[in-house]
Amino acid sequence: MNKLQIFNNGVTKENPILVQQVGMCATLAITTSLLNGIGMGVAVIAVLTGSNIVISLLRKFIPDEVRIPAFIIVIAAFTTIIDLLMHAYTFELYKALGVFIPLIVVNCIILARAEAFASKNSLSDSIIDGLGMGVGYLVAMILLSSIREILGNGTILGFRILPEAYEPMMMAVQPPGAFILLGLLIGIVNYVSRSKKA
Amino acid sequence: MDLVSLFITSFIVNNIIFMQFLGACPFLGVSKKIDTAAGMGIAVIFVITLASIITFIIYHTILVTFELEYLQTIVFILIIAALVQFVEMFLKKSAPGLYQALGIFLPLITTNCAVLGVAINNIIYEYEFIESLVYSVGTSAGFLLAIVLFAGVRDKVDYADLPDSLKGSAISLITAGLMSVAFLGFSGLQL
Amino acid sequence: MKNNFVKLVSILFIIAAVSAGILAWLNDTTKDIIAQNEAMASMDPAILEAVMPGSVMFYDFEDTALIDTVKAENNKIINLMTAVDASDNELGKVVRTWSTVKGFNGDMELYVGFTSDGQISGVSVISHQETSGVGSKTAEPAFTEQFIGKDASSEISYSDYDAVTGATYSSESFLSAVNNAIKVYSDYLK
Repeated sequence: MNKLQIFNNGVTKENPILVQQVGMCATLAITTSLLNGIGMGVAVIAVLTGSNIVISLLRKFIPDEVRIPAFIIVIAAFTTIIDLLMHAYTFELYKALGVFIPLIVVNCIILARAEAFASKNSLSDSIIDGLGMGVGYLVAMILLSSIREILGNGTILGFRILPEAYEPMMMAVQPPGAFILLGLLIGIVNYVSRSKKA
Repeated sequence: MDLVSLFITSFIVNNIIFMQFLGACPFLGVSKKIDTAAGMGIAVIFVITLASIITFIIYHTILVTFELEYLQTIVFILIIAALVQFVEMFLKKSAPGLYQALGIFLPLITTNCAVLGVAINNIIYEYEFIESLVYSVGTSAGFLLAIVLFAGVRDKVDYADLPDSLKGSAISLITAGLMSVAFLGFSGLQL
Repeated sequence: MKNNFVKLVSILFIIAAVSAGILAWLNDTTKDIIAQNEAMASMDPAILEAVMPGSVMFYDFEDTALIDTVKAENNKIINLMTAVDASDNELGKVVRTWSTVKGFNGDMELYVGFTSDGQISGVSVISHQETSGVGSKTAEPAFTEQFIGKDASSEISYSDYDAVTGATYSSESFLSAVNNAIKVYSDYLK
């Protein structure tokens, strides 16, 4: 696979949320506004790329028997770094994302990429893979959180885009809306990829 | 808040799946049959309760004393991973029957964010020991309730005539959304 | 076998130790900013606005020696702070103090703000035990706002303000706290 294919693989073909459907907790929980969605997406890109880099560099040093705990420590360290940085420099976003920042550590996609890709591939490929998967995650977050913010609030990034007369669909920003809209989004993605193949 | 209402709140009103979304991965992945769903649910209750007790004690005795609160995430996830390994080994040796039933779910639980989520929430909400115990049991019982109910519904959904694109996780999510509407009704409970 | 075990454990240990080291350093560098953020979030915007209009935060004086000196000399003083606006420009000083004269039921705790040209920018009661509906009126804007703009070069006397009717003790206690703040301001902060 060349670099572009690796990147593209993460964004489209194996998109973590829309295709693989892993790491759903945060996706469902914090996508109530576009800003939160972008914040979470960027945090995941940072942790995913960072841990891919370190794990790829250490792949010859870490013995096979202890690789999972070693990966978990590296991922947890990067998660804590992001946690501290966000707590210090993006305080309001930090408060909005809450417990889902430390929970990045159990986002299956990160351990899965460490195990399936970074521990077997070169540094440069692992960086591209981390960025690709991360951007794929971010794209899905942006899609879902924009839909929820527009329907549930009539705004995008806080700016009103639907007329005042629009009665916000409260359901969209409440928990049921998260499930139903993500389900529909995945349905649409399935439909599009099917019709492409056909 | 007294303990009974804390239990009911964490069990139903703030249901971990339908209201807080913690543990959505195993919820969507495992719940295809009621038996396996119940097995997973019971394993989760077991691990969450144990993990909460241990993380609570370690946090308040070691991390706070030495001002190492920033290592919380690393320490907690390692405790959970080790605990799951340990429980697996223990069950294999001393309770093979139970191991047969729960064993296959245990490795999945390490990356179940419900476990870490509950452990962290115990700290964020500044619970006392007893409160954190009640919260952990209530929350994980809520997981069992959600996953079993969902498996029951999904059994029927499998026979439904759906557009191809909606089959699989899409319809699962929509179903979960509709069940979440029902749980939203509980938020009117006066506790 | 045994050797291998030692190797595995030591490798894990190295990884954990390096991670912990990096986190310790990062925690140390971000600690103050995080504490400041938390403090800022816990400040009531209404109090900030009442004491120093336009301020978003009160910081403790960086010169902690000065705070210690003042506290040693004047045991009613709780803290000395700098009020800043959203772009971190200093707006003035804030003194947090107890009253020196007891009110109807005990001491009152106040923030007194001073603009950089030596006027009182605002006063806010943080805690008091005065009688609800009578002495408690000293905590309301209708009473506290009469101090805004008063010159802080000399103490305010009884004739300079309108006490709350029926709450002489509370009003005097309030005034004693303001005067205590003025004293510290003119002695140390001008």
